[in-house]
Amino acid sequence: MTFPTPEQINRRTFVTRSAYGLGGLAFALLAQRSLLGAGSGELPADPSWRGALARPHFPVKARRIIYLCMAGGPSHLETFDYKPELARLDGQAFPESFTRGQQLAQLQNTVLKARGPIAPFSRRGQSGIEVCDLFPQIGGIVDELCVVRSMKTEQINHDTAHAFMNTGSIIKGRPSMGSWLLYGLGAETENLPGFVVLTSKGRNGVQPVSARQWSSGVLPSRFQGIQFQSQGDAVHYIGNPEGVCQSTQRQVIEEIMRLNGSLADETRDPEIATRIAQYELAFKMQASVPELTDFQSESPAMLERYGVKEPGDGSFASNCLLARRLAERGVRMIQLYHRGWDHHDDIVGGMKEGAQAVDRATAALILDLKERGMLDDTLVLWGGEFGRTPMGQGTGRDHHILGFSLFMAGGGVRKGTVYGSTDELGYRATENVVDVHDLHATMLALMGVDHLRLNTKFQGLDIRLTGVAGKVVRGLMA
Amino acid sequence: MVTLRFSIASMALFLAAASLRAEAQRPLSFNRDIRPILSDRCYLCHGPDEGTREADLRLDLRGESALAVLSPGKVEASEVLKRIFSTDADEVMPPPESHKTLTAGERETMRRWIEEGATYETHWAYQPLERPAVPTLGEAHPIDAFVVEKLRAKGADLSPEASPERLLRRLSLDLTGLPPTEAERAAFLADRAPGAYERQVDRLLASPRFGERMAVWWLDIARFADTVGFHGDQNQRIFPYRDYVIDAFNANKPFDRFTTEQLAGDLLPNATPEQRVATGYNRLNMMTREGGAQSKEYLAKYGAERVRSVSTAWLGSTFGCAECHDHKFDPIPARDFYELQAFFADVKQWGVYHDYGYTPNPELKGFSNDHPFPPELLVESPYLQERDREARAALLAYLDGLAPTKQDSAFATWLADTQTWLSRHAEGWAFPELSATRWIKPRALDEPPLERDATGGLRLGRATKSGEYVRLVLKPAAGRIASLRVRLEGVPYPVRADAGGFRIMEIEHASGEQTTRASLHFAEANHRRPRYRNGYELDGVTYGWRLPESDPGEGLESVWVLSEPLEIREGDELRLRIGYDVEGVARIGVSPLAALDPRDLVNGRVLTALAASAPSVNAPNGQNVGGEEQARSRLRLETWLVSRTDDRARRDRLRADVARIRSLNGGKAWTLVTESAPPLDVRVLPRGNWQDESGPLVLPATPSFLPGRRESTPEHRLTRLDLAEWLLSRDNPLTARTVANRLWLPFFGTALSAVVDDLGSQGEPPSHPELLDWLAVEFREGGWDVKRFVRLLVTSRTYRQSTQYRSELREADPANRLLAAQNPRRLDAEFVRDNALFVAGLLDVSRIGGPSARPYQPAGHYAALQFPDREYINSELDEQWRRGVYMHWQRTFLHPMLVNFDAPNRDECTAQRSASNTPQQALTLLNDPTFVEAARVFALRLLESPATGDAERVDRAFVLAVGRTPAAADRERLLTFLKAQEQHYAANPDDAKRVLAVGLHRSPAVESIPASTLAAWTQLGRVLLNAQETITRY
Repeated sequence: MTFPTPEQINRRTFVTRSAYGLGGLAFALLAQRSLLGAGSGELPADPSWRGALARPHFPVKARRIIYLCMAGGPSHLETFDYKPELARLDGQAFPESFTRGQQLAQLQNTVLKARGPIAPFSRRGQSGIEVCDLFPQIGGIVDELCVVRSMKTEQINHDTAHAFMNTGSIIKGRPSMGSWLLYGLGAETENLPGFVVLTSKGRNGVQPVSARQWSSGVLPSRFQGIQFQSQGDAVHYIGNPEGVCQSTQRQVIEEIMRLNGSLADETRDPEIATRIAQYELAFKMQASVPELTDFQSESPAMLERYGVKEPGDGSFASNCLLARRLAERGVRMIQLYHRGWDHHDDIVGGMKEGAQAVDRATAALILDLKERGMLDDTLVLWGGEFGRTPMGQGTGRDHHILGFSLFMAGGGVRKGTVYGSTDELGYRATENVVDVHDLHATMLALMGVDHLRLNTKFQGLDIRLTGVAGKVVRGLMA
Repeated sequence: MVTLRFSIASMALFLAAASLRAEAQRPLSFNRDIRPILSDRCYLCHGPDEGTREADLRLDLRGESALAVLSPGKVEASEVLKRIFSTDADEVMPPPESHKTLTAGERETMRRWIEEGATYETHWAYQPLERPAVPTLGEAHPIDAFVVEKLRAKGADLSPEASPERLLRRLSLDLTGLPPTEAERAAFLADRAPGAYERQVDRLLASPRFGERMAVWWLDIARFADTVGFHGDQNQRIFPYRDYVIDAFNANKPFDRFTTEQLAGDLLPNATPEQRVATGYNRLNMMTREGGAQSKEYLAKYGAERVRSVSTAWLGSTFGCAECHDHKFDPIPARDFYELQAFFADVKQWGVYHDYGYTPNPELKGFSNDHPFPPELLVESPYLQERDREARAALLAYLDGLAPTKQDSAFATWLADTQTWLSRHAEGWAFPELSATRWIKPRALDEPPLERDATGGLRLGRATKSGEYVRLVLKPAAGRIASLRVRLEGVPYPVRADAGGFRIMEIEHASGEQTTRASLHFAEANHRRPRYRNGYELDGVTYGWRLPESDPGEGLESVWVLSEPLEIREGDELRLRIGYDVEGVARIGVSPLAALDPRDLVNGRVLTALAASAPSVNAPNGQNVGGEEQARSRLRLETWLVSRTDDRARRDRLRADVARIRSLNGGKAWTLVTESAPPLDVRVLPRGNWQDESGPLVLPATPSFLPGRRESTPEHRLTRLDLAEWLLSRDNPLTARTVANRLWLPFFGTALSAVVDDLGSQGEPPSHPELLDWLAVEFREGGWDVKRFVRLLVTSRTYRQSTQYRSELREADPANRLLAAQNPRRLDAEFVRDNALFVAGLLDVSRIGGPSARPYQPAGHYAALQFPDREYINSELDEQWRRGVYMHWQRTFLHPMLVNFDAPNRDECTAQRSASNTPQQALTLLNDPTFVEAARVFALRLLESPATGDAERVDRAFVLAVGRTPAAADRERLLTFLKAQEQHYAANPDDAKRVLAVGLHRSPAVESIPASTLAAWTQLGRVLLNAQETITRY
């Protein structure tokens, strides 16, 4: 990895620090330690992190990512991958030639029968891409999308599949995608966390999701995702304590910084300068987070467009609008989990409900970004941790890892196209297969990062988001 | 051509390199100078991993292939030098596509090494462990001798000793995680006799707080947590293991025994409960019960995790990569990984802790998401036992204080009436007339009513289906009903594992036109199978009675006590909704009596106590009565108190006390343990793929690359005991080095070999190799005595020196690896909390161990958890302010305060925490109610004290928070700040009130202090609790 040169360390914070009785010496020490700490695996202490990469490796197509994670694993067969042959086989035995020797989840030890698509598809847009009719709004913007129909993953259970999708590994302690981006590229905002996670929940097929999914793992914890809450404080501990007004809070912080300044003069402990800067930053966040989550400045028409019923209600729609506001404010990685796609039972009702929850807001977000000129440098990713079996499971479908779909939109993505395909039954990705590492390598490339050159040392290994695999898929890029 | 270009280019580079390094001429050491270069730049393709080896060349051994290209002593002939100095992209090594390069200095070092004969050394950590001589410099303490020798070589020396107040605070925080009290500080400052410091060391090592502090260190390594980690992240029952660790450090259990008990305590002859509790270590891997998970896949995951954890914990080695392939940098073949795993193949465990149709586990029949994670052992918990004794004593004292006197006619009247009623109901129960029909709401099924047997018992018939219930209509005589009794007879045994339930779902009292719902207070049965909620056993059978699977040999009785006794008038009905999946006959009775333990109403105890022969009135306060008669009189009294309707306060108090006692489970607790089962097959999994069975089967064996290898034979399979024996044997140099190095870290800020979880070739050679070896030998030969070892560390001058930054050494030793000063260290998450609460006087250090505590946590933090859904209810007063080591450890959603201060979620072994410095930490200290409450109670503590004025109080606040008095300027500023805050809160009394309401802590002293004063001092408390000096040990 590359460490910033002294010039890259933000001069502005130096001025701030001086105001609290901290001499130039301490700052010089701070800068020194940042650089020399490299040998012992320490990272620079400068709070306004500009990223481990001095400059991008490739032309930057996207500056931020909004990842709409459809947690639970939505069926590709009822979203983006129409299989008439599967419809024909509906209810009949599923050909064993497909399934022999393959890993199954809840369909272990059962008789396998084909289940046809539960809803019709239509060709949409100029591109004529087939999209399931359950998603009319997304179908309406299909010309903005690059639909990948040839995804595959390695993990067949939710917990580990999410881990694999986020970190490229199931080994604990691997940093998630957002942490890598923040570590590599830094943030474009100081007043908000650079990696934000929002969650919403449907009524069917809800599965738990762990904070491990947005952990920075072995990277310093400053790079972890910060989860926004839909009840109480949006960010843990962001609100002043009971009975403490903004002015008192400010005075308390100033006294803390003054005391810390005195201590720095005495001990010359370089860590103190960082601490002082962090209190300043915390105070700014206390103002910027409420401003962010206050939808007053959004017109009723805008709320309507996203389908927001109650601003800040924790719905997917509300989270999409919040995602746009986060993107506007320079947040590097915004990850939305919508928990509600694990349709082992009642896939008919489940897909309908899931589609209703996300269709409109997803399309609104993409169009809204476009109208604001932000889609050009925002990468939007929509998809689950795996797909679902073309074989039925009772009234639903089981987990499936050998072929599934997702889509990308925005910065640097080849619009209005379909990439790859599965076999005639939607069982296995066959043409232009994209595995999770390839997806990561491509996303990083769009962000200007060579996945082979964004790494950190842990237990003697250079670890990377893509592990020892991954190739950039040019076919997804404009 | 190539050769010519090489020599011109290389000549220029040789010259450049020579001028780069002033101190180039010290003797080269392979381990220090060469191995890091080879390992990082070359081994990937020319190292131990056969799978990725290029050109059949391996440079990690001085073998034939290496010698051929190194050409030792012949610089011009060396192919290696030619390649590394080449400027030709096709030729240069490492190749450009590897993104690895050698610096000019490194190339020069390689040249010198080859010139000097290219000698190899065994990697430092794998070399036999021998005690080096202590440098003779006149230093009294061996550690200082090693450290000073290095410093002198750089023309430097140790820093002066820290001030006594800083030193005591440092020592106290390092050894106990808590700062000194005012009295301890005063005593130390006044102690001028020789050995004053050592006396403090001994006092602190003897403190029970020492074990709590050291446990935090080990629990990270052991990956101790209260939840299973995967998917639903359900609770697991394991706190006795945590208490074992605390007790082990407090009792100074030698580290070798500590190791053996954790890895193999169950295999020791006549294993004690304590030794079996220790084996919880092997069970602390993450577990799943996710539907659709494959047992085999997850058993492979669990097995692999154990290898990673054990090898990191004891060998400081990273076996992880060898799961899929031979290690790239260290000589660890994949086979070693699986041979190590095979030691644990006997650990009884299920891949998926459920009995799903698609992954049947017959042994777990009837399991739900609420079930625990066997095997478990029921053990005594000293914490619970003490709580239990106290709770029982308190209940008895309360009861005795309520004893009615002779004048209390209400009691006498009640007793007489009850005795009359009992004379007519010999069993103690009335059996009202009843009818029973099957219903599916909203109407009865078209079926005949349930049958009655000859004596009036209700034949239950088939099990009630989902949505169906049996509606019972009872017509009791006029009078009071406080309890119902259900006796089951003729149950056909054995009962199926997933059946045998009986439940009263609803009780209605119909009186004339009016129907009211009655609720159950508590129900209990004489025999039952446990039921669980989120891993913990439910109390009683209130929410359902599961019959034992086998015949208990006596009647099955359950008693269901109503929240409020009902007053029945003539003609009233009692309507019950029941459901069951058990066959047999139910006999349903009612009684005007309630009891604290419902079973006393069917086991004869209440009947005996109330019998007419017993004295009708108790002696006041239990005088002159003892033994059985005392017990009987108490039972009479409590039966009266809980059966009457006119004294709710006392009844509720009694019920709460008894519920508390029940929750203490007689001082016992379940804990995960290792149970040895026939070992599962372990085979080498190609690329770690659990579905690939092509690899060879392996038996337990210690790593092939380390000395003293122990191997199984087909006749003799090695066990976990053998593994422990080898880990601790003199053959193995790694355990002592790993642990000595790691114990150094918390006391000096950086370990001697800085990467504490990797002593392999990609780690870091120690800053003081001789010192590390000396310490490792000292530790091992000193009997693995942890306290003695820690005492050795903290009595050195090196430890005691000031943390003042040495700017003159910035160039020579930027990271302070030579230890010319102590390193400041931010407190670990748990101690950030402990310290704040202790400063406030709020920390509860009265007890050790016990179930994990739940401090305030932001609402909704567990919203994304399911199976089952989770609600976080913070602990009550007596457990709210326990130490951080006791905080509930939810792996997937760790308490945000812990997360923000870098506590690991303990998914796997963590040997080193990161020490970040983030805005989230500022927000936590500023706004987390725990810290705001601490500031408030701190303020109260200051204002309650007899100090004469604000300045004196500010001084005391400083001493409590950071162990020293403030500089004059700081004092003045804080006084000004206080005045401003006091004015603010005087003008905003509602805000002051809100400040004072934060947290559960209540004190009558608040009344005598103006709210604005207390609120202002609370702000001052916040300032101090946020100060860098407060959360850092200098």
